[in-house]
Amino acid sequence: MSTERRRERIDRPIKAVTDDIFCLSSMREIAYLVIPRILPIVGLLLLGFLVPTYWRKVIVITFIMGMMALSWDFMASCGLTSLGQALFFAIGAYSSAAVNHYLGLPIYLSIPLGTLIGAIISTACIYPALGLRGIYFSMVTLIIPLMLMRVVETTGILGGTEGITGLTHFPGMFITTTISMAALWATFFGLRRLIDSDYGHIFVALKDNDRAVEASGLSIRWFKVQAIFIGSAICCFCGAFMTHYYMSVGMSAFAVDLSIFPIAASVVGGMGTLAGPLLGAIILGPLSEALRTFGSFRVVIYAALLGTFIVTLPEGLFPYLARKYQQIERWVEAPGGISED
Amino acid sequence: MSMLSVKNLTVFYENAIAINKLSISVNKDEIVGVIGPNSAGKTTLMNTISGLMLDTKLKEDRRGGIRISIFGSVEYLDENITNLWPDKRVRKGIALCRERHPVFGESDVEENLKISGYLSSKEQVKESLSLVYDTFPKLLTMRRRKAGLMSGGEQQMLAIGIALMARPRLLLLDEPLLGLSPNIQAQLVEAIQKIKQQTNMTILITEQFARPLIPIIDRGYVIENGMFAFGGSKDELYDNPDVRKAYFGVDYDEE
Repeated sequence: MSTERRRERIDRPIKAVTDDIFCLSSMREIAYLVIPRILPIVGLLLLGFLVPTYWRKVIVITFIMGMMALSWDFMASCGLTSLGQALFFAIGAYSSAAVNHYLGLPIYLSIPLGTLIGAIISTACIYPALGLRGIYFSMVTLIIPLMLMRVVETTGILGGTEGITGLTHFPGMFITTTISMAALWATFFGLRRLIDSDYGHIFVALKDNDRAVEASGLSIRWFKVQAIFIGSAICCFCGAFMTHYYMSVGMSAFAVDLSIFPIAASVVGGMGTLAGPLLGAIILGPLSEALRTFGSFRVVIYAALLGTFIVTLPEGLFPYLARKYQQIERWVEAPGGISED
Repeated sequence: MSMLSVKNLTVFYENAIAINKLSISVNKDEIVGVIGPNSAGKTTLMNTISGLMLDTKLKEDRRGGIRISIFGSVEYLDENITNLWPDKRVRKGIALCRERHPVFGESDVEENLKISGYLSSKEQVKESLSLVYDTFPKLLTMRRRKAGLMSGGEQQMLAIGIALMARPRLLLLDEPLLGLSPNIQAQLVEAIQKIKQQTNMTILITEQFARPLIPIIDRGYVIENGMFAFGGSKDELYDNPDVRKAYFGVDYDEE
């Protein structure tokens, strides 16, 4: 007679009342809930302001890439799997550069204006492809930035191959870091709140079953337009910010790397969780910088790490950690598992 | 001789128990019915017998989803197959026709059937094809039709045909009558009986509403909440007032 056991998973008994109302009885429980929320905010503050100057630049770029990843994850949650975040980035970059260079508007106007104009142009660019789904939509988003890059190159508009240079710079590193960090958190919490609202549920439903959305009397296309607008506005801000950060904009804004990074970050961190892509970006950004010492071989190491990661932990880092944190596992005797012979 | 015997089968989806210490057996040349309401564990039982549950378990483990625990044993022809992969089980002669008639939507009817006949020799495929077309003459008239565009009843016929093409010795049918009109249900039940007569296949069939099945089954199990509730021969099932009321849709006093 043998006893069979199974590993049981139960939620930590913290959420005592409902999902929204916590019933806390000790400092330990308060700490249990608060620490995972405070830790990343404090961590990024320390990271942003205390590291040496060279690394601070890396951190700023990481923040911006984190926003790109958030934007990609948001769009993917709406069923719009984009392979061309670079398109939105470049459109934002060029819009803000044009406003700053040709109209002479100051930086505090050119970034918001660039974001807005960029988002409108981006949405207009993608609009014809909104009827497409899955791989077709992805293909279109992949093609458009490559095409626009050559358009800029051959026609010489917006500075052509030279790009637009001599743009206004941010007043200082402190302000740069502050703005990028504030924007990152605003995007993160904003998107999370949006997704959790009734309005945001429609976006998530678009991915789940767009026919059911249509059957509820909502226009799929109109909501997709809104999703693209929100997603591309975030990337356009990134573009506008980086333009002023580098004081120039060029064809490199269309680079495929910018499209790939958000996807890699989302896959590493865990798609569809928002916190996951952010975590992924914070890991991958500095990592790819640290690997620079290996020269061009760094791509191999980077790719190998990424591949290993995806194969061994396909659910993503964040869902894995969250599960381990929130659940207790223990062996229990399986009822009915006692064999009779 | 017992062809299939499930002993003390217990299946957990995470902490929820789907099948609770269930033991059933199927003898050779029988048609056995498993009757139960929604959430009784019929589909879980079928997936566990066919081995698909192992695949689901692996996939869930890989993406950190729900943890599936299986206890007890599934024995087929006196061999323990509890941990055998579904493809190996098909080679041994167990074929499952899954719930809600999944077919290869992009392929036409004949291609669908031939995909499933891949393991057989050319002559065997010919033979099985003629068996399927003989059983479901309607499929022959729409040989070149894309499977995804066919009606529910036609797809169900095709799904059963696909399972038949694997030339099973034990055919598992998971809710074959789901969502079909009484007329088509009657046709299918007739077809199942015909298959049984022509091939001597052993058949295990699940259903919620047992009335259309009762003429063809030899024995039946009633399961509720994953547990054995009642079992017996066709007549015993039909004479039990509770079973009659719940699964045959007739009141005892009606007659």
